[in-house]
Amino acid sequence: MLLFLIRRLILIIPVLLGLLLLTFLMLRLGGNDPAAAIAGDNATPEMIERIREDLGLNDPLPVQFWDYLVRAAHGDFGVSAYSQRPVGIDILDRLPATLELTIVALVLASVLGITFGALAGIWRNSIFDHTVRVVSVAGLATASFWFAIMLQLVFSMGLEILPLRGRLPTGWTPPPDITGLYLVDSLVTGQFATFWYAFLHLVMPAVTISLGGIATIARFTRSAVVAAMHSEYAAYEQAVGYPRRRILMPYVLRNSLVTPVTQIGLLFGAFVSSAVAVESVFDWPGLGSYLVEAIFTSDFNAVLAVTLVIGAIYGVVNILVDMTQGLLDPRVAETM
Amino acid sequence: MKFRQFLLAATTCLAGSMVHAQSTIVWGESTPKGLDPHVVYDVPMQLFMLNAYDGLYRYVGNPPELTAWLADSHTVSEDGLTWDFTLKPGITFTDGTPMTADDVVYSFQRLLELGQGPSGGLTPVLQPENVSKVDDLTTRFVLDKPYAPFLAVIPLVSILNSKVVMEHEVDGDKGTAWLASHQAGSGAYILDPETYKPLENVDFARNENHFYGWDDNPNPVDVVHVPTISENSTRILSLLRGDIDSTDGYLGADHTAQIEGSDNAHVQRDESMRIMVIRMNNQKAPFDNVDFRKCISYAFNYSGFIDVILGGQVARNVGPLPGNLWGVPEDVAGYSFDMDKAKEHCDAAREAGVEMDRDMKIHIQAHLDQTTQVAQLMQQGMDELGLSLEIVGDTWANVTSSTASVDTTPDMWIHWVSTYFVDPENWIGQMYDSQFHGTWKASSWYTNPEVDTLLRQAREETEQAARAELYKDAYRIIVDEAADVWIYNTVAQRGLSNRIENFKFSPVGSGADFRWISVSD
Repeated sequence: MLLFLIRRLILIIPVLLGLLLLTFLMLRLGGNDPAAAIAGDNATPEMIERIREDLGLNDPLPVQFWDYLVRAAHGDFGVSAYSQRPVGIDILDRLPATLELTIVALVLASVLGITFGALAGIWRNSIFDHTVRVVSVAGLATASFWFAIMLQLVFSMGLEILPLRGRLPTGWTPPPDITGLYLVDSLVTGQFATFWYAFLHLVMPAVTISLGGIATIARFTRSAVVAAMHSEYAAYEQAVGYPRRRILMPYVLRNSLVTPVTQIGLLFGAFVSSAVAVESVFDWPGLGSYLVEAIFTSDFNAVLAVTLVIGAIYGVVNILVDMTQGLLDPRVAETM
Repeated sequence: MKFRQFLLAATTCLAGSMVHAQSTIVWGESTPKGLDPHVVYDVPMQLFMLNAYDGLYRYVGNPPELTAWLADSHTVSEDGLTWDFTLKPGITFTDGTPMTADDVVYSFQRLLELGQGPSGGLTPVLQPENVSKVDDLTTRFVLDKPYAPFLAVIPLVSILNSKVVMEHEVDGDKGTAWLASHQAGSGAYILDPETYKPLENVDFARNENHFYGWDDNPNPVDVVHVPTISENSTRILSLLRGDIDSTDGYLGADHTAQIEGSDNAHVQRDESMRIMVIRMNNQKAPFDNVDFRKCISYAFNYSGFIDVILGGQVARNVGPLPGNLWGVPEDVAGYSFDMDKAKEHCDAAREAGVEMDRDMKIHIQAHLDQTTQVAQLMQQGMDELGLSLEIVGDTWANVTSSTASVDTTPDMWIHWVSTYFVDPENWIGQMYDSQFHGTWKASSWYTNPEVDTLLRQAREETEQAARAELYKDAYRIIVDEAADVWIYNTVAQRGLSNRIENFKFSPVGSGADFRWISVSD
């Protein structure tokens, strides 16, 4: 297992390099040049050219890419054209918000998706099963941007039970920065009012992000449960007279979890990506809204660094998924 | 107890623990990118400059009046080259340090040496070494050549606390890294640096010792929260819920109706100086032909866009100056939607051998709906003429960078020119003098030596009446040659909560000068 972990961690490096190269080329070959944006609205051609020169944008592309890699390897991701601060600081400021949102959404999607999927598989072809399948398809087809606005209209404007935007009420002091996760930090420091507000602010963004995930996990869980219930070992256990509950709990459900767990891992990366749209609607101060602004302002350093972080998260989560599969299925563990 | 009642009760109970300042408002406008007023210069930055900093002069009201602010007075030599500004006595920065001419000299030299932000308005005529201290309160500027808009661009320059900034210099960076997230000024509001997070929030507290005093405002705002709200729909809903006290000033017709139907907010309308333009690349065929450009100018449905799509909430603007600014000739009617005339001019262009069968492109700012609507109307008009126009989604940053050369500048693109300083130079001067080619403002690559001469004379002429005549002459030529398609002058429409009083709009900064605002509760 340890060798497997080391091997997979090493393999992440070329993947991230490839990701960076691809992003870099797309940014540069797309004709983007952040110099004019940085220079501001009242700039002269000389000012723009000087900024271009200062940023090395007149150098050949391979030189620019190599310079970036060298700096990034030393932890220097450059200065954001938007915030004028080091990109690394911006990311450290905003990453916890995205992680908190993504983790809560993933827990929500996993609990609901596995529960609904397992019950739909067990009660195959029942009304409940049909309902789960129809709702799953609808969940997958719903645009998160639209769904987010609908939630705002219903729960913030109509019922007035949830806040519209942000991570805490405007003017409310955040909890002391321990992990950056407001739910955790407020609980640890005993700030229960802050916890309550942080929770209320999380509900709609987390539900929006998790919607597609619930549907995906439910569908995969249902299929796995149905397959497991029709397996030879289930038939054997039934034949020797095991009670239905015993067949389901240790055998069918455990074996059915391998596929959903893989999906949960993949969804984590997808959730981080879908946060791009959802964070903008809810003004969630995470990496997603930061990336949107970075794209609009041709903030190269920010786009590259955020891409790198999301890629790294995706890679690490996939390794964790593989390891979890090994724990769930000894046959997988043998191949590691 | 129902679930909703429980939630509301719990929330109300918890909210009781919040410590509210005496009067607090939440301003729902964009936060600037970085806080150094000598590095960043765009429309959102004006909010920060107006509140955290002061300049020697300031634009106040609408129409904007150039008002002596930190300066007590100024003098100018007969040749228009030497300008002396004297500070009002007794002004202090927010940390209590007295402001002197040393701070003024430092601020202008820093701006010019950094060569960023608003320096573009000064670098062509002012060198850092030509800014000097005369006495503790007086600063002298010696220009390279007469430059009539000099006084108009003075409000762009924030006066910094030189001692504080120099204390935070690192490796000769002139304090830029530190000032990107701090304040070193004398403004009416003091930044709380702990609350500043780019793209998230910034809070201000009232500077009770501001030099201007507060006698004119019996109930000023003590604390201002400025959260970043990305989506317009979220901003409107926040106002309707009472979460914020102001939207930005760019509301559309559908949004104004929504707000006007609410009990706790209203819409304030103010004629601004922000013109919408479809740029045409005058050096790229077929746009290099005057008849073709006239054809395009007649093919746009101005009244359809202004009266129907925008509900008549803006004013038609026929040329390269806002209609409410001096220097606009009254005898220029501009272009109207007339497909017969459009065909006539397109035919004339064809007869002159202009090849217009290629696919042309118009770039829009994808997140701004009006640019899409304008492009679609333009596309419809050109389609009737048998011309192909493709709409290309783009970003402001990308298009402005593409305007660095003729080849990379799009055939057409759509944008607004806001009020950075109140002088024709801000519009017609920087948009159509060929010396500005390579900037986004001059992105139509219009070249006419006669117009260059007129605009340069206007820049050096010190009498406003004479300058006005020069601008009028240039305006007539530019419109006659249909350099661009000018559409409208903005009427700023801002949603305000009913507790906001004395909101004082100015085209510079869009009224985000908190010191005039009162709160009714």
